[in-house]
Amino acid sequence: MRAELVLMGRRLDMARRARRRALVVWIYAALAGLIAAVWSLSHWHGSGAYIIWAALIACRFFLGGYYRGGLVKPFQYRRPMREDAAPSLPALKLRMYRPVLASDEAGMRNDERELHQRDRAHYLAYQAMGMAVVLLALVASMRTVLPPLRAWIRMPADELYYGLALITLTLFLTLPQAILMWTEPDMEQGQGIVSRE
Amino acid sequence: MVDNGKAGPGESGLFNRIAVLRAERGVSRQDLADVLGVNYQTIGFLERGDYGPSLKLAFAIAEFFKLPIEAIFATEPFRLLSEQVYGSAAGTKGLRGGGGR
Repeated sequence: MRAELVLMGRRLDMARRARRRALVVWIYAALAGLIAAVWSLSHWHGSGAYIIWAALIACRFFLGGYYRGGLVKPFQYRRPMREDAAPSLPALKLRMYRPVLASDEAGMRNDERELHQRDRAHYLAYQAMGMAVVLLALVASMRTVLPPLRAWIRMPADELYYGLALITLTLFLTLPQAILMWTEPDMEQGQGIVSRE
Repeated sequence: MVDNGKAGPGESGLFNRIAVLRAERGVSRQDLADVLGVNYQTIGFLERGDYGPSLKLAFAIAEFFKLPIEAIFATEPFRLLSEQVYGSAAGTKGLRGGGGR
C-alpha cells in the first residue's frame, strides 16, 4: 500500500492508520448518502448507474486496487501502457496526468506480503458480500412468506432488490481496498536507515 | 529486539535476526528491500516477526547476508549474542557486576 495519496497534484500523507480509517468512513458515508439520495429522488429510474460510477471514482482517486491512482496498489499488476499521444489540456490543467516513470512501475507491483494481504482482504470481502446475498434472499423470501412485512417495507419489490444488488456491487468494487486500508497498521516513516559511526 | 538480536515471533511464529544483521552491516530497510524486490514496509513486518517470509524470500535474505538460513530464522528464541560469544556466565556476570567485580 502506498503511504501517500496524490490528489490533484497534492500529496496527502496517509501513513497513519487513523487517517486511512477516517477516509474509509467518509467514502462509505458519501456512498450511503448518494444511494439514499438517488433512491429518494428517482427510485433508481435511470439513476442506479450513478452509484457504480461513484464507486469507480472512489476507487480511481482514493481507494485504488484497479487503477494507478488511490492508496492500494493495483491488484493485478500490468505494465502501464505507454501513450505516444500528448495528454489533453484539461488533464494537464486538472493535474490528472502523471507520466509513468520506471520508478513508479516498481512501486505499483505488490510484493509477496502485499499479495497475501490482498488475498486475505478479498476473502473477508467475499464473506461480507455473501452475507449481503443471504440478506437479499432472506428479504425476498420473508416478503413472500409474511405478507405483513410487505406492508412494513413500503418499497416495491423490484426497487428493493435492485437497491440491494447495487449495494452488493458497490461492496464488490470497494470493500477489499477498504479492508486493506482499515487493517494495515501505521506505516513507518523512516525507512530504517542506519549509519555506522 | 534489536539490542539482543531477537525478534519476537509476532504473528508469524518465527524468530529472526534480520534487524540486528541489518544494523551490524549498516544496511537500511530500503536498501535491503530494493535488493530483495519487496516493499520496505515488508522488511519492518519481517523484523517484527509479523510476517513469515516464503521459502524463496527467506533464501534470498540468507543469500544477502551470506549466512545459513537457520542463523537468521528460527522457531525457538535465539540465544543472546553475548552469551553465544562469551558464554552464559560471562554474559550474566557482565550484566550484574557492571564489569567491576
